[in-house]
Amino acid sequence: MIKFWRVAWHEYSRHVFRKRFLFALFSVPILIIFMVILVIAMIIMETSVKPVGYVDYSGLLAEAVAPPRVKWPDQTIPMLAYKDETIANADLQAGKIQAYYIIPEDYLKSGATKVIYLDKIKGSAERQFASFLKANLLSNQPSDIANRIINGNDIIVRSTDNSREASQNRFINILMPIIAGILFIVGMSTSSGYLMQSVVEEKENRTMEIMVTSVSPNQLMSSKVIADILVGVTQLVVWAIFVILVLVIGSNYFPWLRDFKFSGEMTGIILAVMIPAFIMISGLMAAVGATVSEASEGQQILGLFTIPIWLPYLFIGVFIQNPNSPLAIAMSLFPLTAPMTITLRLGFTTIPAWQLIASVSILVISAIGAVWLAGRAFHLGMLRYGQRIRWKEVISHQKV
Amino acid sequence: MNKTLLVLKHELITVLSRPSFLFVIFGIPIIGAIIFSVAGQLTKGSSAQILLSSLISTPSTVQAEGYIDQSGIIKTIPDSVESGLLLPFPDEGSARKALNDGEISAYYIIPADYIQSGEIIYIRPDFNPLGSSSQSDLMQWILKVNLLGGDVQLATLINGPMSTQKVALSPEPQRDANNLLTYFLPYAVLILFYIIILSTASLLLSSVAKEKENRVMEILMVSVTPRQLLTGKIVGLGLIGLIQVVAWVGTGRLLLARSGTTFNLPIAFQLPTSFLIWGLVFFLLGYAVYASLMAGLGSLVPNLREASQATILVIFPLMIPMFLNSLLINEPDSIISVILSLFPLTSPVAMMTRLAAGGVPLWQTFLAAILLAITAMLVVRSVARMFRSQTILSGQPFSRKLFFNTLMGKA
Repeated sequence: MIKFWRVAWHEYSRHVFRKRFLFALFSVPILIIFMVILVIAMIIMETSVKPVGYVDYSGLLAEAVAPPRVKWPDQTIPMLAYKDETIANADLQAGKIQAYYIIPEDYLKSGATKVIYLDKIKGSAERQFASFLKANLLSNQPSDIANRIINGNDIIVRSTDNSREASQNRFINILMPIIAGILFIVGMSTSSGYLMQSVVEEKENRTMEIMVTSVSPNQLMSSKVIADILVGVTQLVVWAIFVILVLVIGSNYFPWLRDFKFSGEMTGIILAVMIPAFIMISGLMAAVGATVSEASEGQQILGLFTIPIWLPYLFIGVFIQNPNSPLAIAMSLFPLTAPMTITLRLGFTTIPAWQLIASVSILVISAIGAVWLAGRAFHLGMLRYGQRIRWKEVISHQKV
Repeated sequence: MNKTLLVLKHELITVLSRPSFLFVIFGIPIIGAIIFSVAGQLTKGSSAQILLSSLISTPSTVQAEGYIDQSGIIKTIPDSVESGLLLPFPDEGSARKALNDGEISAYYIIPADYIQSGEIIYIRPDFNPLGSSSQSDLMQWILKVNLLGGDVQLATLINGPMSTQKVALSPEPQRDANNLLTYFLPYAVLILFYIIILSTASLLLSSVAKEKENRVMEILMVSVTPRQLLTGKIVGLGLIGLIQVVAWVGTGRLLLARSGTTFNLPIAFQLPTSFLIWGLVFFLLGYAVYASLMAGLGSLVPNLREASQATILVIFPLMIPMFLNSLLINEPDSIISVILSLFPLTSPVAMMTRLAAGGVPLWQTFLAAILLAITAMLVVRSVARMFRSQTILSGQPFSRKLFFNTLMGKA
C-alpha cells in the first residue's frame, strides 16, 4: 500500500509543482478577468457622451422629464431640445451633437420618428432616447404605475412542486450550474490529458518496465488514476475559490451577484454526475495511453473523446428552448455527453428523478468499465514495443 | 540557389502527397458545401425537417396558459391577443387542477402588491427560466396595457418608436446593419486568414522540428547551408498556403454557384479587386512573419511535442483579433480596431477583416502594409541568424527566454 501512495504522490507532485501547471491554473481566472474588463471597456468606448438633439412637433416633449438614470458602465447622454431643424443641423455639422431626432406632429398616432446623424448612430444613443420618450409618455400617469412600467417586472418561475424557483432577471442562479459544469469538464480534460501523457511517456522511455519490477501493474494504474483525480481536484478547488472570491468581492459592485443562492441539492447532483464521469474519463485516457506507442498518436485519439464531451455545449440554444426534448434526454444518458448535458439542463429545468438515477448509474458502470479496460490494455501492452494493441484484443476474452 | 530550389521542391512534394493535407484542402470545402446544401434542403415541411424538429423539441403541449389576478389589474385583454390563450382562474386550486388536467400548460399568479413589487409568479411544470421568457412576454404586455387603462396605442409607444427613419448625412456608403452578410463576410475573411496563416506557419514548424528530431537535419547540414534550407522551406510552404487559399476560395465559389438557388450569395460576396490585391499582400507578409517565427521556434525545440506546446508563444498575438472579432466587424473605425490593424503582429488578420467590413482610409492600409513589411524583414533576418547550425543541431531543451534571446541576437 505504501508503494501505491508513493506512486500517487510522485505523479501528483510531478504535475502540480510545475510551472506549466500553475500557468494553466491561473490562466483561466486571468482570462476571465481580462474578458470582463474588455467588455466593460467596450461598453464605455461605445458610449459617446455627446448630446443627442431633438425637434419636437408633437408637444410630447414640451415639458420634458429626464429619463431614469442609466446604470454603470453606461453613461448618461444629455438630451437637447431644438426649436427647428436648421439649428439642429448646424450643430450636428459642427460636431456639437451626435444626432438629432425629429418627432412629427402625429407621433402619438403613427409612432414614427426620424433620426439624422453624420455617419452612424451608436446603439446607446438610440436606447437612451427611447427611454427618454418612454419617461415622457408616462409623465401624466400615476407615479406608482409609471414606476412599475419603467422598472419592468420580475417574473419568478417556479416548478409545479415548488421545489425550485428562479427569477428570469436573476440569471446568476441559472448560470451557476453551467459554470460549475464547464469548470469541471475543463479541469477533467486537462488533468486526464496529463495522465495519458505520463503513461505514454513512461512507456516510451521504458521506465514502465523498471517500475513494474517493484509495483504491480494494477497498483501502478490505480495510483496514477487517483493522482490524476487529485490533480483535477486541486485545479477545481483553486477555481472554486476564485468563483467564491468573485461572488464575495463582486457583490459589492454588481448587485445581481448578490442574488446567488447556494443550493445543496444542486451541488449534490453535480458531484454525483461528475465524480463517476471523472473516473470514467481518466480510465479511458489511461487506456488510450496504454495502447498507443507515441504521444502524438495519443493526442489524435484524445480528440475522439473530447468532441462528444463538449458536444452538448453546441446544443445549448436547443436545450434552453426545449430542455426535455428527446435529444436532450438521449444526451443525458449517453455517458460521454452526460456530464455536460446534465449540468446544462440543471440550470434550465427540473430533470426527472429517473433520468438522473439512470444517468448516474450508467456513468458508474462506464467508470468501472473504463478502469477495467485501462488495466487490461496496460497488461496487454506491456513489453510490446513498436506494435499497437488493437482494441479487439483488449475487449476479447483472451486471458492476460 | 539550386539547392534552395531542391529544398523547395522537396517540401512541396512531401506536403502535397500527404493524404491528410489533401483532405484539408479539398475535403473541408466539400463538407462545407454538403452541410450548406443539406441545410438548404431542410425547407419547411420536408420529412427530414419534421424528424429533426421532433428530435429537438418537446412533444407539443397546450398553448393556453392561465392566470390568477389577485391584484385586480387585468380588466381587459386586448383584441390583438388570440382568445383562449390566457384564461382567468379565481384561485390557485382551480388553476392547478386545470394544469393537472392538461387544459393549460402553465399559470401566472399576480400578487395583490404587484404594482409595488413588480413580482409575477410563473408556475411551469418544466421550470425553464430562460426558455420561458418568450411566453411570458405576452403576460407582461397584457399587464402593461391594463396598467395604462387599456390604452393599447400608448402601451405600444412605450416600447419605443414604432418606426424610425434613419438619415445619414455623410456621403460614404452605409453598411446595412440588419443584413446578416455584412457581419458574415468580414467574419469569414477573419477566419480564413487566421486559419491559413496559422496552418501554413505551423507546417513550417513541424517540418523543421521533425527533421531535427529524427536527425535528418544533421545530414542535410552537410550539403545545404542553414539559410538555403530556411528560404527553400519558407517559399515552398508559402506556395502551399497559396494553393490552399485558391483551392478553398475556388471550390467554395464553384459549389456556391452550383447551389446558388439555395443562398443568394454571389451578389453580396462581390468584393472589390483591390481587396484581392491587399489580401495577397497581407497574406504574404503575414505569412513571412509568422512562418519565420515558427521556423525559429522549430530550430530551438528538441522534438515535435515540445514544439506544439511552444506555439502558443507565437500565435498568441494572432488570436487577439479572433477574440475581438465583433468589435472589429461592428466598429471598424474604433481606436482598438485601428490599433489592431496597424500593429504588425495582428494586422494581417485585423486589417483584412476591416477591409472586408469597409470604410478603411487608404493611408491606414498602406501604413499597415509598410509596418508589416518592415517587421517581416526584421523577423526573417533575425530568424536566419537563429537558424545557425549550432542551434539547430543542439539538443538543449526549449525555454521562452532562449527563444526571445536568440530572436534578439543575444544568444
